[in-house]
Amino acid sequence: MTFRLLTLTTLTAAGIATGIATGIAGSAFAADTVKLGYQLPLTGDTAQYGQDFRKAAEIALTEFNAAGKPFKVEIVFEDSRSDAKEGTNIARKFVDDKEIVGVLGDFTSGVSMAAAQVYKDAGMPQLSQTASHPDYTKVSKYQFRNIATQAQEGPYNAKWMATKGFKNVAVIAEQTDWGQSVVSGFSDAVKANGGTVAFSEFFNRGLKDYRSLISKIERAKPDAIYTGFFYEDGAQFLKQLQQLGIKTPVYSTSAAYSPKLIELAGGAAEGVHLTSNFLPTDPSPNVQHFVDEWKKRSEGAVPGQFPAQAYDAVRIMLAAVEKASPNPTREKVRDALAQTKDFPGVTGKTSFSADREAEKELVKVEVKGGAFIPVAD
Amino acid sequence: MFDPYYLQQLAIGLSLGMTYALMAIGFTLIFGVLNVVNFAHGEVYTLGAFAGLVLISATAPPIVAVILGALAIGALAGFSLERLAFKPFRRFTDEASLKSRAMRESTLLSSLAVSIVVREALEIVFGSQMRSVPFEYLINTPVRVGPVILVTGDFIIFGVAAAMLIGLQFLLTRTRVGLAIRAVSNNPLGAKYVGIDTDRTIITTFVVGSMMGAAAGILMGLYYGAVFPAMGFTPGIKAFVAMVMGGLSSIPGAVICALILGISESMATTFVSSGWSDMVAYGFLILTLIFFPNGLFGARRERV
Repeated sequence: MTFRLLTLTTLTAAGIATGIATGIAGSAFAADTVKLGYQLPLTGDTAQYGQDFRKAAEIALTEFNAAGKPFKVEIVFEDSRSDAKEGTNIARKFVDDKEIVGVLGDFTSGVSMAAAQVYKDAGMPQLSQTASHPDYTKVSKYQFRNIATQAQEGPYNAKWMATKGFKNVAVIAEQTDWGQSVVSGFSDAVKANGGTVAFSEFFNRGLKDYRSLISKIERAKPDAIYTGFFYEDGAQFLKQLQQLGIKTPVYSTSAAYSPKLIELAGGAAEGVHLTSNFLPTDPSPNVQHFVDEWKKRSEGAVPGQFPAQAYDAVRIMLAAVEKASPNPTREKVRDALAQTKDFPGVTGKTSFSADREAEKELVKVEVKGGAFIPVAD
Repeated sequence: MFDPYYLQQLAIGLSLGMTYALMAIGFTLIFGVLNVVNFAHGEVYTLGAFAGLVLISATAPPIVAVILGALAIGALAGFSLERLAFKPFRRFTDEASLKSRAMRESTLLSSLAVSIVVREALEIVFGSQMRSVPFEYLINTPVRVGPVILVTGDFIIFGVAAAMLIGLQFLLTRTRVGLAIRAVSNNPLGAKYVGIDTDRTIITTFVVGSMMGAAAGILMGLYYGAVFPAMGFTPGIKAFVAMVMGGLSSIPGAVICALILGISESMATTFVSSGWSDMVAYGFLILTLIFFPNGLFGARRERV
């Protein structure tokens, strides 16, 4: 009896002691550093995007840590190679690290959605700067995005093309989760507006030769072509369109909005119409500040839309962490993210709807004289 | 019936096939003819393209100098590749090791390792972004031939591929070097016993094959106007399929199969979604392996 009592007391005492110790250590740590995870492709075929995101995140992070806040933030970058398997492994790693209170990324919708399953179970807030597949935010209440979805962009572009008088359109997109949302978001809106989709097809990302596909599109004689591609594929497509002497107007999504598109396609990019929510030429001070910081770190290159979205996503996450502090937890960060309203970013004001979708304003842009020029219609 | 659309698709397919053939020639020389498992050819191709691009941005030389520069880098790359990934596995000269299949096929991994290191190193140095080639160097000015549109590059690539093919056939069948290559490929031990310098023969083959790989790389860079570290992967796969279909050791076979591959892909685009056109290459590979284990043009060989 005495022995049992003794054991019990010792255990309780030890338990309390440990509890206090960890409690102190925990709060002491939280006062110093808060950790965030960022999963993104740093190697492999889509590494160029991940590298840009990291650069943007570092700009945002340096600014935050230099602003004399009561705590510092550290971001752990993990390379997902745009591979869903790799993405889930990283998600498990982030979830297991008790100090991580929020996660940014991934780049593609497919990988983001795969990782989202892990974050959903663990209750980890996830904010992707680019995942625009409609199903991504439907995974759970922990998924947020800082990009217009194709469900928003498709109808917008369909209406734009309809006002230009293009009734019979062709649509092509890369064969990915995102590409499928481009085709469905756009096609449904075209039909709703009374137009027809003359041709609809997917191609593999990284296809070099689009000439077969282009000949096939032209056979359907569309008034205009709507395209869901990124700048690499876009540049090849536009160049080969020009080679084959085809003058059909091309419209595209904000995913193709990158200075690299014009650099790679040259004259062939002239006259391409697309939407965007970031204009590096915008004179507002925060945009110019970001563009300057970016140029300093990129040998004078101008940022495209994706790095701008990543920069804003990181800053939205940091603001949420600040709101959730002191002692931010995953749940508190999630709630703070959900309350984000009119966040003044470089990609316009961002609010999260009840579905955790970023409500973005889109700008119409045309390539003229080797530059993206905003147009009224 | 004679729809110009199909003529155009045929022309596109031929031009696509020529680009595969360009890559397949050097690849087949090393992998097939010399019978050395080499998975780093795609990176030699990429190195050639980058060498050309660096030369263009540094000094803006005439196009011939660009290609010569790429050839030089290709030769160097071939030599270093052989030294790093292949020579160490030939340090045992006893009969058992020379006959060992494991020793020979272990280069599968060593060459793959070299290729990964080279690709990642290029990413660190140049970044993984696509780099554009200055427009005045591009070889894609449209040329109208009757009802079809081709570009200047198609003719240049055809010329280069034809020259490579004829040159190599001459080398392999009419010269002592070619004889030595075939001897080493057939039986390394026997070749050694009859006094052939096997090391030198292997190095020569690597240098020649890699020069062709690098030339293919820079030509493709100028043709498509984009150079990036991962550019060698897809052509490498297509060249591999063409080589296996062609029967491994036959360079003309690989070229013909590359053309078949290109035409089938562009024709297939008419009937199935473009997203599935890669299936054609893999489908051909599987069909060939099942029904023609020696390839369509191959001589009898124990392994395909």
